[in-house]
Amino acid sequence: MHPVVWFVWIGAAALVPLVTRDPFSLVIDFAITCVVVDAIRARPFADIAPAFASPLRFALFAVLVGALFNGLTSHVGETILLRLPDAIPLIGGPLTGESLIYGAINGLILATLFSAFAALTLAVPVRDLIAYLPRAFYPIAVVSAIAATFVPSSVRQFQQVREAQAIRGHRMRGLRDWLPLFMPVLIGGLERALQLAEAMTARGFAAGGGEPQSRSAEARRGSSTLSQVVLAVGLGAVLAGGVLRLLPGGAKWRGLDLSLPLLILGATATVWVVWRAGSQVHHTRYRRSTWTGVDVVCILSAVVAVLPLMIFTFRGGPGYSPYPRLALPTFDLRLGLPLLGLLAPIWGLQARQATTQRVEKPDRTGFTAEEGRKS
Amino acid sequence: MMITGDRLSFRYPAAPKLALSEVSFTVSDGDFVIVAGPSGAGKSTLLRSLNGLVPHFTGGTISGRVIVDGLDPIAAGPQRMCRHVGFVFQDPESQFVMDRVEDEIAFALENAAMAPQEMQGRVVEVLDLLDLTALRGRSLATLSGGEKKRVSIAAALALRPRVLVLDEPTSQLDPESAEDVLTAVARLNTERGLTIVLAEHRLERVLSFANRMIYVPGGGKGAITGSPRDVVGAIELAPPVARLGKALGWSPLPLTLEEGKVFAGGRVFDIAAGAPRTGTLPVPYLTAESLDVTYASRGNGGGTKVVSGASLRLARGEVTVLMGRNGAGKSTLLKSLVGLVRPQRGQVRLGGRDITTAPVAEICRDIAYLPQDPNALLFADTVMEELQVTLRNHGIAPSDVPVPAAALLAELGLADKADAYPRDLSVGERQRVALAAMMVTRPGVVLLDEPTRGLDYEAKDRLAGLIRQWRDAGLAILLVTHDVELAAAVADRVLMMVDGKIEARGDPHDVLTSARGFAPQIAQLFPGSGWLTVPEALEGLAS
Repeated sequence: MHPVVWFVWIGAAALVPLVTRDPFSLVIDFAITCVVVDAIRARPFADIAPAFASPLRFALFAVLVGALFNGLTSHVGETILLRLPDAIPLIGGPLTGESLIYGAINGLILATLFSAFAALTLAVPVRDLIAYLPRAFYPIAVVSAIAATFVPSSVRQFQQVREAQAIRGHRMRGLRDWLPLFMPVLIGGLERALQLAEAMTARGFAAGGGEPQSRSAEARRGSSTLSQVVLAVGLGAVLAGGVLRLLPGGAKWRGLDLSLPLLILGATATVWVVWRAGSQVHHTRYRRSTWTGVDVVCILSAVVAVLPLMIFTFRGGPGYSPYPRLALPTFDLRLGLPLLGLLAPIWGLQARQATTQRVEKPDRTGFTAEEGRKS
Repeated sequence: MMITGDRLSFRYPAAPKLALSEVSFTVSDGDFVIVAGPSGAGKSTLLRSLNGLVPHFTGGTISGRVIVDGLDPIAAGPQRMCRHVGFVFQDPESQFVMDRVEDEIAFALENAAMAPQEMQGRVVEVLDLLDLTALRGRSLATLSGGEKKRVSIAAALALRPRVLVLDEPTSQLDPESAEDVLTAVARLNTERGLTIVLAEHRLERVLSFANRMIYVPGGGKGAITGSPRDVVGAIELAPPVARLGKALGWSPLPLTLEEGKVFAGGRVFDIAAGAPRTGTLPVPYLTAESLDVTYASRGNGGGTKVVSGASLRLARGEVTVLMGRNGAGKSTLLKSLVGLVRPQRGQVRLGGRDITTAPVAEICRDIAYLPQDPNALLFADTVMEELQVTLRNHGIAPSDVPVPAAALLAELGLADKADAYPRDLSVGERQRVALAAMMVTRPGVVLLDEPTRGLDYEAKDRLAGLIRQWRDAGLAILLVTHDVELAAAVADRVLMMVDGKIEARGDPHDVLTSARGFAPQIAQLFPGSGWLTVPEALEGLAS
């Protein structure tokens, strides 16, 4: 599916734990992200996915630790389960059911965020993520792409070095014994980095980006000074706006709130500088993702899924709090049911798979014929 | 003229000696040029001066002139030269930037800011040119060695350069894959008129394609250029056919098998004349019985069987050569002998003792194993220190050293290198340091994994000499190699491995001549004679 679908989906799925503490919404959201993670993993021809701890296991851990931590450190609430001796600093005092539940909800929020981001990393390969960086950051993009391939090859190299040292009787006994493993990996890594840099240079990669030859050096220098000034002003405005917002009562000038205009102005200036720098970078991109109807449906359903919850929250709707006395949360069908729309990517994955299989079939048979001829 | 070099000299920064001195050469449009010469003579430097990597990337001082496709690379720099010269580096792994075939090819196009629609067309064209269309969407990590090499050639050709430069393109490939890659390059030359400049140690693989040769002798001497026949006639290193031709005064000097057959043809051999080199089977010292090795694949339970039911016996005083294609399981089999990989089934015995589950450190006191990349071994400050580290690892006191370190270094031709920093040495020397570090415990078995990578003829001769010397001293030796000429020179017995199984074993002549691509030149020149090497042929022809 199109990477933007995943960006929107994760935005929606991650929004839920950020705006509400309602246990029902959180549990539904968490369950959906888990199912989606599973569906991505089950995809045939999947990219080599990074090994992730199961979201479920992480959730169990987060909920337990969250509950214990909050229970032991916060002593507010009316349902007292037991009393720890007051002499113990920090954790001494009553252990309340409310604080345990509150902590558990904290853990559930963390787990939901984790699970949503796990889905994103599994679904969108690093290079597709990079493709959505602004063009001005092209060198960063390439460096990240290299890092993504460099790390596994360093791991392979470490394995090689470990074997090579093992066959000369090397054993790990102390800190000193790391040297024979560390040195060849380090030197080899540097050598490989140099070779790669050379290979990239030979294929026309320049970290500065191929600037147009026609423009004079002076004109370039002038325009880069302009960019720097605008960037400084823009960032200054953002900072000033942010500080003003934090001031008690806000800063008013003739009754007008200045912080918001400053923030907008600053952000616009910064974006302009990045865009401008990007337009000077002379690169194009090979890989383009295509939009399909499936993608549109997935995006719409993700947005619609969280809309009721958003409206409710901004109207000051019923959030859930266990304090001061533990009570069962009320389940609101109008909020819970739409959340199921977040399941759309599962259908999207299957639809995409069906079309890809249809398209890829001739390719794959071609490949086997080729292999057959060789052997 | 496509390329002209005029009295080109180059010195790397802070290097005491010139890497190239006063080298002059010319290459015409559409030539296929071999650049040959011993290691360290400046072949790579010469190639890099063609696209401006020397001196722009390396630094250093350059004098003289180069003109490539009407441009001066020294003035233009590599970023502009990339549209005129495609460069393929020795190790494909270290030049891949992206992780998929098509992205890798598009990388140069992205840098050149080509419009996306045009890029699509260009990628398709280059894929087709190198027969890679079926591999288009594959991840680079899943490709074989030969496929990777073809991808790196395709990536270098994406910008439609008129010159293709390749630095030792076949050094890591088995004979069959090497042949495939070279044929693809030759097709680019004949069908597309691409000018090819190719550095190579193994002349026997490439001479038949080339029409021009530049020999860089190193050591401050000038280059010899001319037709391959003239150059090969004037230099020491030559493929077996040419060496035989020189010894027998054949004229014009044959460079390829086909040319050699004109002189050798017509001789009919009595099969019995080729006496088998191996007599009765000696008592084995290291034996492996029906080993199975399966690598667990990630996730879904199953695994790939890399070695299946392999058995072998190594006797003292005998050289066994293990051959086979890339990925046949040779390295894994070697690793399972020393315990780096534990076989799921089968047994390894050393001198009658079961060592299948013994600790690696203990096994390696009596089995020296030279891994493919000796760099993985070296980390100490001096050569002597490397030897002492091994002794310390094994807890051998200086008084109990089985062989004096100085004597071992002398045996390996490293006597004057005891205090040198190992990583500053040449490829061949570094390999012998690694060997010294393994041999210092005086083991009874030596396992060598692809020891000829990057070695020139001289270093290879030296290695062959060492192998014979150790065999005569009563060591059991197992050599894994793609180099059929080295195998022919030292083997007492040859094993051929296919898909994890040992498919053929026995007399070198029988095994080598029955597998495609593995027959040495002399065996092909005199089929049925039983000869494998130049000395054998000379001796046989004289009698």
